[in-house]
Amino acid sequence: MKVLRIVPERCTGCLRCELACSYVQTGTFQPAKSVIRVSPFEGHTSYAPYTCFQCAEGWCMTACPVGAIVISPVGAKAVVDDQCVGCKLCTIACPYGTMFYNPDTQKAFKCNLCGGDPACAHACPTQAILYEDVETQDWLGDFAAARAAGTLVSAGGNGRH
Amino acid sequence: MAARHVIVGGGTAGHNAINTIRQEERQRSEIVLVSAERPYSRMVLPYYLGRTIAESHVFTATPAKLGQLGVTAHIGRRAAALDAGAGKLTLDDGSALEYDDLLVATGSSAVRAPVPGADGPGVHSFWTLEQARGVVAEIGAGSHVVMVGAGFIAFTILNSILALGARLTIVEIAPQILPRMIDRQGASLVEAWLRKHGVEVRTGATLTAVEQHAGRRRLRFKDGSDLDADVVIMATGIRTNLGWLEGSGVRVNRGVVVDDHLRSSVANVYAAGDVAEGRDLVTGQPDVHAIEPTAMEHGRVVGANMAGRHVRYRGSLLMNIVEVCHLDVASFGRWDDPAAELMLAVDPDRPSYRKLLWHGDRLTGAMILGPSADIWTTNDVGMLKGLVQAGTPLGAWKEQLRRNPFDVKRAYVASHATRQLLPETVLGRPAPAPAVLWS
Repeated sequence: MKVLRIVPERCTGCLRCELACSYVQTGTFQPAKSVIRVSPFEGHTSYAPYTCFQCAEGWCMTACPVGAIVISPVGAKAVVDDQCVGCKLCTIACPYGTMFYNPDTQKAFKCNLCGGDPACAHACPTQAILYEDVETQDWLGDFAAARAAGTLVSAGGNGRH
Repeated sequence: MAARHVIVGGGTAGHNAINTIRQEERQRSEIVLVSAERPYSRMVLPYYLGRTIAESHVFTATPAKLGQLGVTAHIGRRAAALDAGAGKLTLDDGSALEYDDLLVATGSSAVRAPVPGADGPGVHSFWTLEQARGVVAEIGAGSHVVMVGAGFIAFTILNSILALGARLTIVEIAPQILPRMIDRQGASLVEAWLRKHGVEVRTGATLTAVEQHAGRRRLRFKDGSDLDADVVIMATGIRTNLGWLEGSGVRVNRGVVVDDHLRSSVANVYAAGDVAEGRDLVTGQPDVHAIEPTAMEHGRVVGANMAGRHVRYRGSLLMNIVEVCHLDVASFGRWDDPAAELMLAVDPDRPSYRKLLWHGDRLTGAMILGPSADIWTTNDVGMLKGLVQAGTPLGAWKEQLRRNPFDVKRAYVASHATRQLLPETVLGRPAPAPAVLWS
């Protein structure tokens, strides 16, 4: 299936993905409602976007007590809004930290690959987010480990201060 | 001849077992369900109480759905006795069922405080759908509701009670609220938050009697004080439903003792959910985890094994989350382990609280408290669960988390937790979409 392939080295931290995501997912330009999140990994440089991996287990989906998380036609684990009761079990079941909760609607939400046309991938000006037929994987681990090593070393010692 | 599986209990464990048998089996088997109640999800009863969902939304398997699954259902019947040696289950109407294998998934029941008047009118448990109906019928705007017991179950219905416009008082015998879910410091933050939202909290309060006065309830306490209420909810604990297994030949300790395949001491009898004493993922020791995610995973593993697979279960991770007036409160794993190394961070004004528990450079437990509207709180809840679940070695990130227990995302990503977790599945294959419960 096609998944979001993240190439963190290409990310400039412009946050266009968050704007596009929130607009398509909620109809408002509110990065706080985006389900793709850009974070800095080296001081205030070296940003990278992070979102649901559409994992094989679907921990959110199997945890849902009312079957409100399904597999969409494009293979995304997707929340069925009018079935979600807002119990938050999915938010603790997902071990990737990619479930979200909307206090206004009192429902969970997550990346559903925009039904097969992901807005974040369209919006990214540097092709750091691609929508491709590849195996999902740990896109950011090596990048973050290399970038953050400096932060950790410079802190030095046992780190208590 | 087709194998006959008997599932005793129609809750989360039972219905997950049934769905998984049908997904995994090579040859169509016979499935018989014995369930005292029509199957529903206990997790969603609070939303029925809060009127944000209709009663019909709570059911997990309609008669039609069970029919489609080819399940012979004995609804309204209870298991009365098991003769595991003879492979015979006796029901409460005296009828008997034979089986090739059987799942014990009879869950638990609510227990009330052992005081005079605890069974009187206007005094409720909130555990079964029938009990929920009783509470729904009595609470309205302006009612004064007194909740006896401040555990997880009480907290799941707190928001709904307030949303109905009722006034709420919580009384707890222990010196703190949520004593089996969070520590003293976290509890004091939640207590202050509750008071700020108009909820009265009395801890260290020992109830001695519930009396009836002019159509209302009067609660008497050991210190001589009393409290009047329209509705009393007893959220004073649960007890596993194991009595019917006496003399069955199945070994019972705190729950039915099960091995890594969730088999009991009798090879063709499995147990799952609240009644099973299975492996704890973090400690590796047997424990009873009466929580929804454990019932779900247990049920699926048993279903796969009944269908002829050999699925070993890694163990269940203790975890709980409740939202208290837009404050998220969650804990995982061994959050109360006295032998663990601790890291803490508190921001009483937000409020926000983190507690990380370590053995070496691995997280073995965590507690997290923060505003529901804060995306990072929600995301960190998941990532901390992932770190505890995977047992990710955090190396130098441990010291970074000591400096800043809120720097979870960088520690998680840079420690390659994702790489560890992606191959993990409960049944050794991708999970299919859930059987649609609601069409």
